[in-house]
Amino acid sequence: MESEPHIGDSAAAYAAGALDENERAAVAAHAQTCAACLRAIGQAEETWLALERAVEPNASYVNARRRLPFERRGIAGWWLPAIAAAAFVAGLFFAHRAPESPATLAMIQSHFSHAQFDGTPPAKVIYARDRSWYYVLVRGGGRYDVYGLRGTASRALGTTQPRGATSELFAPVHEPFDVLQLREGIRIVETARIR
Amino acid sequence: MRDESLELRFQRRDAVAYDAAYRAFAPRMNAAALRLLRDPEAADECVHEVFLELWRRRTAYVCERGSLEAFLVACVRNRALMRLRDGKRRSAIEQRLHVVEKYEMQTDPIERARIAQALERLTDVQGDVVVRAYFRGMTLSEVAGELGVPIGTVKGRLAAALATLRRSLIAETNDGI
Repeated sequence: MESEPHIGDSAAAYAAGALDENERAAVAAHAQTCAACLRAIGQAEETWLALERAVEPNASYVNARRRLPFERRGIAGWWLPAIAAAAFVAGLFFAHRAPESPATLAMIQSHFSHAQFDGTPPAKVIYARDRSWYYVLVRGGGRYDVYGLRGTASRALGTTQPRGATSELFAPVHEPFDVLQLREGIRIVETARIR
Repeated sequence: MRDESLELRFQRRDAVAYDAAYRAFAPRMNAAALRLLRDPEAADECVHEVFLELWRRRTAYVCERGSLEAFLVACVRNRALMRLRDGKRRSAIEQRLHVVEKYEMQTDPIERARIAQALERLTDVQGDVVVRAYFRGMTLSEVAGELGVPIGTVKGRLAAALATLRRSLIAETNDGI
């Protein structure tokens, strides 16, 4: 049963992102229950994509100026599933504290940052901008003790655990560290500065 | 050419498919966001945010909708448009004017020529609406206000323009295969 009229001419504007918020929400809601309108939106998106392709100056320009963002920042593509997993884990953590809170979920999705460790193996930390959690990922299967430093104080956060291509630690500690260190015993392996 | 296997795995939220989609489509997504934002860092962030959001949403993409690449580009454009329409962000972008000017000096003449060429099959009023709504990221109501016509008229012109573009651009693509 369809309770709303078909979207008609709105498909073009919807796919271009040109609808006002209310109408956009109404079109999206209708498309969830109407296969024909969903397909109309898909066709509109494909046409706008064709226009995108048509206006790109040339392939070398695209490749030179628009490299993969992670690669431009020195972060290889293998991080992506791990970062997605980090966001997912963080979501579970926050969802436990504030179930079904859209505002909390929106915060999780957009309010985190990341920093790279300065040595090898390649490693990084993804962290909430309010410093409520830290997610450390190290390439390879090594186990490293993670310490958080603020001024002269330091705190052990735990040990990374191998998981697929990375070794990881999620630390929901609520402390504003300036620096994170990976250690093997007393040896400092590498350091990341939290900005 | 569409990779329906990738699209199906992406729909099922397969992490390897997300990685493959990122590698395949992030450059074009970045280009689309950059065209609107004129800020490389912000464009990067939009691409990241789209993938993270899609990973979290269980019903974000379904194959029946159409091309995954087209869907992702539409998503990143929406993300970029949200930023553009955010007053605080607009202010921050204006503060980086020197960066914007430098970028526009490097790219605008080429892009303008390409856009004009792509839109040459449209009538003047259709082309005007496409430039405002698609390339400048204006809403229909903003376009209507600038042109002094009803919103429905703008919407109709945009739909007609899209139909013409579909006939010309998609046909060219198919002819080229």
